[in-house]
Amino acid sequence: MIAVAAMAGATGFAMAADNIKIALAGPVTGPVAQYGDMQFIGAKMAIDRINAAGGVNGSQLEGVIFDDACDPKQAVAVANRIVNEDIQFVVGHLCSSSTQPASDIYEDEGILMITAASTSPEITSRGYELIFRTIGLDSLQGPTAGQYIAEKVKPKKVAVVHDKQQYGEGIATAVRDVLRENDIDVALFEGITAGDKDFSALISRLRQADVDFVYYGGYHPELGLILRQAREQGLNATFMGPEGVGNTDISAIAGEASEGMLVTLPKAFDEDPKNADLVKAFEAKNEDPSGAFVFPAYAAVQVIADGIKLADSTDPFDVAEALRSNSFETPTGTLSFDEKGDLKDFNFVVYEWHADSSKTALSE
Amino acid sequence: MPDSLYYFVQQLLNGLTVGSTYALIAIGYTMVYGIIGMINFAHGEVYMIGSYIAFISIAALAMFGIEFLPLMIIGTFIISMIVTSAYGYSIERVAYRPLRGGNRLIPLISAIGMSIFLQNLVRLAQGSRDIAMPNLIPGGINIGPPEGFSATLSYMQMIIFAVTLISMTLLTLFITRSRMGRACRACAEDLKMTNLLGINTNGIIALTFVIGAALAAVAGVLLGMYYGVVNPYIGFMAGLKAFTAAVLGGIGSIPGAVLGGLLLGVTEAMTAGYFSSEYKDVVAFSLLILVLLFRPSGILGRPEVEKV
Repeated sequence: MIAVAAMAGATGFAMAADNIKIALAGPVTGPVAQYGDMQFIGAKMAIDRINAAGGVNGSQLEGVIFDDACDPKQAVAVANRIVNEDIQFVVGHLCSSSTQPASDIYEDEGILMITAASTSPEITSRGYELIFRTIGLDSLQGPTAGQYIAEKVKPKKVAVVHDKQQYGEGIATAVRDVLRENDIDVALFEGITAGDKDFSALISRLRQADVDFVYYGGYHPELGLILRQAREQGLNATFMGPEGVGNTDISAIAGEASEGMLVTLPKAFDEDPKNADLVKAFEAKNEDPSGAFVFPAYAAVQVIADGIKLADSTDPFDVAEALRSNSFETPTGTLSFDEKGDLKDFNFVVYEWHADSSKTALSE
Repeated sequence: MPDSLYYFVQQLLNGLTVGSTYALIAIGYTMVYGIIGMINFAHGEVYMIGSYIAFISIAALAMFGIEFLPLMIIGTFIISMIVTSAYGYSIERVAYRPLRGGNRLIPLISAIGMSIFLQNLVRLAQGSRDIAMPNLIPGGINIGPPEGFSATLSYMQMIIFAVTLISMTLLTLFITRSRMGRACRACAEDLKMTNLLGINTNGIIALTFVIGAALAAVAGVLLGMYYGVVNPYIGFMAGLKAFTAAVLGGIGSIPGAVLGGLLLGVTEAMTAGYFSSEYKDVVAFSLLILVLLFRPSGILGRPEVEKV
């Protein structure tokens, strides 16, 4: 990592006049450094490929890595250094809690920022002009799940259960609203207490209400127990949950009862045949393209480069304008941004979960 | 109409199952309070340790080739009760006995410290993720018509009722009929006087911690097998609920702890079943406040007589 930064610094020195610098901000050290690596290898790959193809409007791109250790305080210090070094474009930060305070500084100082990993809806909800993201929001999963239920599953009677926390209740509310719009009978909308172990009373109630589909907004420890106790009591219903339930632990807790559960997860971009070339390029460099943030980071750099071309300017405000009014072909699909700076449609994919923790995709 | 009756029966069974285990844990609080007037806040963690020991011994017994289910379950109960009792004894010896006779707040702080220590010890030794095991005794019986709503009673629930009933009967016999039980009652009556009469009160106090821990281990094994999941944080909520049950029934009274546990479990199930899961805890704790307003010493508790 030091060698890369030094190299970037050295080349920067040599051709300082023409280069367009992009700050790559994220954790190089600290407990979530492996996520930072995903972001850096994706961004660097994009920079290398764009430079090899002739750069942007005659200039070369140059990535400069900044380490925020996923610490909000350090993220602010990093943001100030980026301001001092007169860098106008940032790809980062990674953790929502770091992105939030850093983005205040970028917006004030006229720096364009695209995060490839922060999914908190708050970040783009403050009416900022220069803050974008190339990843989905926590709040997008609900509508995806709701549409899928309404169009494909078509259940007769649905129960929507959540864990009363920001993430779970938010998604569950979105699912309920979509189902109601589609005239599907939501017989029950109810919260449970995260950390509870006994859901037998709730399950008896679901059985009495005769529901054939249950959506759960929350995490795997509670849904695992609900699945297990539902199987025990003989409740015949299909269960569905967000990405917070889609990990191997749910199969350990629920065992056979986790077979056939539906779950929404971000698309696996490295499995897309269109990206086969890119995957080979990563493998040639001995890098792992399967990380969740590799392709969104690649897309972030590409969007900045294309934005500069379209605006024919390196002024962040012109580029931001170009980002909002155009759409971009990237390895993560055709991207276009809304007023807030979020992607207009980021696809979550519906998977069917199996008792051995494997999954099969059910939707595009 | 019968449908709603079976539904009521189902919720009653759900509530009694949870309530039985609250009662088992509540005994530990109420016995210790009855004798030394102290709340053992580490008791929830003792239950958690009992559950972990159950998981470990089931895995160990299976490893040694003991696959015969009744033997495996009885073995698990014995191992977990012995190891957990050792924990209960050690906690009393290390954290409470040296502080006895001082300010009443000091052992309370020591208990909270012990609770944090045990939780983190297990977290470091076993990891903080949920550990799961498959359902050992699947299946159950249906009560009611095949069409429409029928109440289900799983074999595991039956075992919980049976084991709780047996434990409570044995405990009552021990307290009312044995010499040591009489010594326990004497200690609860007046600790200093009992000591003057030549009874080893330190031994009796240690014994109450051991009995409490053994019953918490029984609850730990039962709930571990019933839910199939254990993590280092289950002790906190279970401890809080059991403590509530003990206070509700009248802290210091053993039948009170049982009644309080069952009442709390059934109230929770009925609230979740007829109203909403969200208000389960609200209703349960409102009930506690109401009982304490009208009967400050709990349902079966005796009013505290100021000793002069």
